[in-house]
Amino acid sequence: MDNQTLINCLKDKLVGFDIQYSESNDSVTIEVNKTNIVEICKILKSESSLLFNMLIDVCAIDYLAYGDADWKTLDATNTGFSRAVKKTIIPDPDEHYDEKRFGIFYQLLSIENNIRLSISTFTGSDNPPTIDSVNGIWNSANWFEREAFDLMGIQFKGHPDLRRILTDYGFIGHPFRKDFPTNGNLEVIYDEDQEKVIYKPVSITTRPGVPRIIRKDK
Amino acid sequence: MGLNQDKDLIDDQGPGFVVTSIDKLVNWAKSGSVWPVTFGLACCAIEMMHSGASRYDTDRFGVVYRPSPRQSDVMIVAGTLVNKMAPALRKVYDQMPEPKWVISMGSCANGGGYYHHSYSVVRGCDQIIPVDIYVPGCPPTAEALINGIIELKNKIKKEESIIRG
Amino acid sequence: MTSNNLKLNFGPQHPAAHGVMRLVMEMDGEVVVGLDPHIGLLHRGTEKLAEIKPFNHSIGYMDRMDYVSMMCCEHPYILAIEKLLDVTPPLRAQYIRVMFDEITRILNHLLWLGCHGLDIGAMALFLYCFREREDLLDCYEAVSGARMHATYYRPGGVYRDLPDSMPKYKANKYISEKKVKKLNYNRDGSLLDFIKDFTDRFPSHVDEYETLLTDNRIWKQRTVDIGIVTPERAIQLGFTGAMLRGSGIAWDLRRKQPYEVYNELDFKIPVGVNGDCYDRYLVRVEEMRQSNLIIQQCIKWLEDNPGPVMIDDNKLATPKRSSMKHDMESLIYHFKLFTEGYSVPEGNVYTAIEHPKGEFGVFLMSDGANKPYRLKIRAPSFPHLAAISEMSKGHMLADVVSIIGTLDVVFGEIDR
Repeated sequence: MDNQTLINCLKDKLVGFDIQYSESNDSVTIEVNKTNIVEICKILKSESSLLFNMLIDVCAIDYLAYGDADWKTLDATNTGFSRAVKKTIIPDPDEHYDEKRFGIFYQLLSIENNIRLSISTFTGSDNPPTIDSVNGIWNSANWFEREAFDLMGIQFKGHPDLRRILTDYGFIGHPFRKDFPTNGNLEVIYDEDQEKVIYKPVSITTRPGVPRIIRKDK
Repeated sequence: MGLNQDKDLIDDQGPGFVVTSIDKLVNWAKSGSVWPVTFGLACCAIEMMHSGASRYDTDRFGVVYRPSPRQSDVMIVAGTLVNKMAPALRKVYDQMPEPKWVISMGSCANGGGYYHHSYSVVRGCDQIIPVDIYVPGCPPTAEALINGIIELKNKIKKEESIIRG
Repeated sequence: MTSNNLKLNFGPQHPAAHGVMRLVMEMDGEVVVGLDPHIGLLHRGTEKLAEIKPFNHSIGYMDRMDYVSMMCCEHPYILAIEKLLDVTPPLRAQYIRVMFDEITRILNHLLWLGCHGLDIGAMALFLYCFREREDLLDCYEAVSGARMHATYYRPGGVYRDLPDSMPKYKANKYISEKKVKKLNYNRDGSLLDFIKDFTDRFPSHVDEYETLLTDNRIWKQRTVDIGIVTPERAIQLGFTGAMLRGSGIAWDLRRKQPYEVYNELDFKIPVGVNGDCYDRYLVRVEEMRQSNLIIQQCIKWLEDNPGPVMIDDNKLATPKRSSMKHDMESLIYHFKLFTEGYSVPEGNVYTAIEHPKGEFGVFLMSDGANKPYRLKIRAPSFPHLAAISEMSKGHMLADVVSIIGTLDVVFGEIDR
């Protein structure tokens, strides 16, 4: 099935939803509203001409720094080059996020029809950002959603066991958010007096190797 | 008068022939069977396995990998040590009987290496446990690890096992 | 009933855990009734680190993802960049990539077989498998300079062409000239000759492993009917690769969604019947034989077709050292490439390849900068390990070790 047929087929089956279809880099992406993600996924899985029976991946994205270059020359005359020097942002727990701050990409695969589809959706209007879990449709979503919760802090409503998975026991923050420093806030060291491994504030500073530069021309 | 001089002489010379000979013997025995605990964390563990397998065969040096820390003399920290693993590493180290040595294998264990700037990586396993030998490389080849083991043996041979303080 | 249950902690430092995994098991006598895997004990934050480095600097991180199948992990990342940049590598580079993908597959399966055998009690197998792994790591070393972490694939091709000579053993006071000559018998020609010699003898080595295991009574007792996964559950749980094929579904990305030159190569896809540990063992052993055939076909093509292995675009490929000496433009390109890197057009892409463990995918998002905006790695073992509690329930404690072995988990990619 080529991409255009797939889009037509999807348009046929997903009537009544607010969906944007796009085709880029040989793959089809549909952008859906987060409120009807479960309904749409149910249709995608059960419809015989689609049969997306495998959830391959769930990827959460933080759009906070999208398009930010380190080396902007617009106000260089006043401030000098701000060469990749990051300001420390301390996240406010009650912060109101942008409605489209977090994106979630689902990668689907149909083994019977040998087609792929990616679904994208946005969340962020509430704090913590929330979305419905698709764990009831594809069981493989279990750990992928736990990972997205751990690293990006997205709450999956209806998930049976939403715990941290990758980060340390008792970790604070969500490390893959753009306002979380790459170096982290804490580091561990063995304390001879207490005879145990303890946490202390991080001792190294960010040292950008290469500044982030955006070039639009190809 | 003469007796006192003799006493001084003995003190100057330090321990006698018998003690030093036994010391050498003990050190030779220790260095002849350094049994490492298999503390494979990441990529370096594969090279560590290679050093113990067919081509390099560290059994020739009396290096036999033990699955339990209670039966081993040396810990080879092979791979990236992350914050979540650090208490476990210390626990395994504490479980090893004295005398014990540590080889830090690879740049991640030496100082964080490629992952130095990560929020979850311990920047060198010497933050958690004392290290005797650092083996550089990412990962060090099996030969490099064997060189590290030989260096450790040389170090053991220079130690004072019986003569203390 | 629950008052009789025992909580058992397994790991994180356990020789059978294949790295750093912690299992909190609830036992009823010797039978597992509940199992909670704790992962993240090797969580290095690779995806976050990739965001602060130019695209090419992160190729090395990919090697360290699944550190027993290094080049296969580079592959989807390179493909993702190439797709966003819209470049196609030369055909010779594609053949080299396919050849090294298959060498990597054999490397991975050999380590899996050796360790799986070691866990269940077949010690000798470990030594046999590592004997062959050494030869393949020599191929890695000859082509890239590193035994394990090659960083050999580059956007637009591969780092350099296959070398004409192999590194040789040298005589010293412990090894005589005569012995060295015997050791060097297959190292006189080029790398391709060396690999060719390997592929000629490899099938007989696989026969050796099979003699040790396939009809071995103990091996069968430890693996047959252990960890059965039905095809429906396998799909539902997101299994890919040998885990899915072991359950009887003929799904292989090399055949179904071919990338590089797989559609021009001839190979078969082994499929299991019962979906237990033994079937998955058979599938993987057969995959090694098929990989061997693919390598042979690639060698034949590569011998006949010399040519470039990198695209001729100085925005991606390093200019020649000789031209840098007298050509200003080449010098500028070199400087820009090594200080700033290249910018990748805005967009997002998901690419996947048939990694030895399953589908290894990379989701790459670029906002037009010289660094990835977001890199997400879809590790095949991640959903596999998520299913371990379902697979182990009702089995004995010793069977959990068989199941960990059959999952073929590597924590570098699960924890990332």
